[in-house]
Amino acid sequence: MRTARRWTGVAVGLALFLWSAWETELSLFRMVEGLPYMADFLRRMFPPDFSVLGSAGRGALQTLQIAVVGTAVAAVAALPLGFVAARNVAPAWLFYGVRSLLNALRAIDTLVYALFFVAAVGLGPFPGVLAVVAYTTMILAKLYSEAIEAIDPGPVEAVSAAGATRLQVLRFGVVPQLLPLFISFTLYRFETNIRAAAILGFVGAGGIGFYIQTYLRMLNYPAASTVLLVLIALVMAVDFTSSRIRQRLV
Amino acid sequence: MIEVRGLTKVYPPNTVALRDVSLKIPDGQFATIIGPSGAGKSSLLRCLNGLVAPTAGEILIDGESLTAARGEARRRLVARIGFVFQQFNLIKRLSVLDNVLVGRLSHVPELRSLVGSFPRRDRVLADAVLARVGLAELAHRRADTLSGGQQQRVAIARALVQEPRTILADEPMASLDPALSRTIMDLLRRINEEDGITVITTLHVMDLALEYGQRVIGLRNGRVVYDGGAAGVTDEIVDAIFGGGAG
Repeated sequence: MRTARRWTGVAVGLALFLWSAWETELSLFRMVEGLPYMADFLRRMFPPDFSVLGSAGRGALQTLQIAVVGTAVAAVAALPLGFVAARNVAPAWLFYGVRSLLNALRAIDTLVYALFFVAAVGLGPFPGVLAVVAYTTMILAKLYSEAIEAIDPGPVEAVSAAGATRLQVLRFGVVPQLLPLFISFTLYRFETNIRAAAILGFVGAGGIGFYIQTYLRMLNYPAASTVLLVLIALVMAVDFTSSRIRQRLV
Repeated sequence: MIEVRGLTKVYPPNTVALRDVSLKIPDGQFATIIGPSGAGKSSLLRCLNGLVAPTAGEILIDGESLTAARGEARRRLVARIGFVFQQFNLIKRLSVLDNVLVGRLSHVPELRSLVGSFPRRDRVLADAVLARVGLAELAHRRADTLSGGQQQRVAIARALVQEPRTILADEPMASLDPALSRTIMDLLRRINEEDGITVITTLHVMDLALEYGQRVIGLRNGRVVYDGGAAGVTDEIVDAIFGGGAG
């Protein structure tokens, strides 16, 4: 019975893969055929043209700023949403409503939000910030609410049993349990948002992505490779710093 | 004095934890509440400081009704009672000292406490009480790095700095190594004898109840089946509390 089910699973998985491979025109032959062109592409990217370092740096800085502002606004906006999306805080009707809404809106990625906001408020970093806020708020609210649901009621009860006021119970029983987690989630999303903000420029929403796209379109590969190197440096620096801080929080 | 009048607790839909319990516990007594699990021991203890709201009946603390009190008046009554939990219930990531200071929250200015600042007097008291439970050198360690027995002593220190009239302890050694039970029970006895603080503790083992309790209150199925001195506990009474057969 169990082995029969296992083999059915394997067969279904294999069939799904073969069907998708066929439909997506997966072809080893075409890949091998393309190899010389890929090599040529890489060769033309070298050596990088460092004369564009200034604009690449400005783009990277703007990407960083979009991620900082977007993540910070989302971290605060997600607070009330997190509480009303927590089963142990909100009444059932509210909880189910907010959870479903969050799940639905989370299906839309940052880049798609960016397309929408560029159309709404025009080109530049501002629609980029709005896009980061929109997606990050939804995902942080979900993470916050799960942390709120997992809170240990014991310390809360103990603080309250000492004759503390409601605010004191919140400050000493609840906040110490939640704050490190909230900060950790927010930093983690900040790391992801640097990557997300790096491609916002493709749709006109500011940041380093604009330069990547422009130089690639102009076939200026040495300039494009400089921009990519700057992006890699930015992502690595942010990941390193942020994960260091997160480690110390737990 | 703590007085319990006709206390009944029903957990919805129809689990009866306490049935018409009446007791008077005079100041300075060391009382143990004994009974099998599910007898209502924890419910009774938790009703005494308002952690659980009774379905019927009344709790009087030094003549004032806890059941009727609201807001500020209620917090004042609750603050007079220290509570020691089976699972310690410390705030894991705060320091030992900060955990003890939680016991001062009802005594200090509220706004100031919210920024984590405590008057010098309160910090001195917390230090002194930590020294008394033998943990002075661990004051700045994170609470969750301590052993179970040490954590329970921090919890007792937290209750002590409330400067309470009564300490309620809910199976204070049930999550600890048997060897540590005595350390915790001895500490509670010393607090009772030296400070004159009333101690009421629930236990599920008879020998500790007989050894430490001046008074033993036997519960079974939410009813008091024995209430008297440890000396008066006969085999028949032990059987009435723990024995087989319908209760």
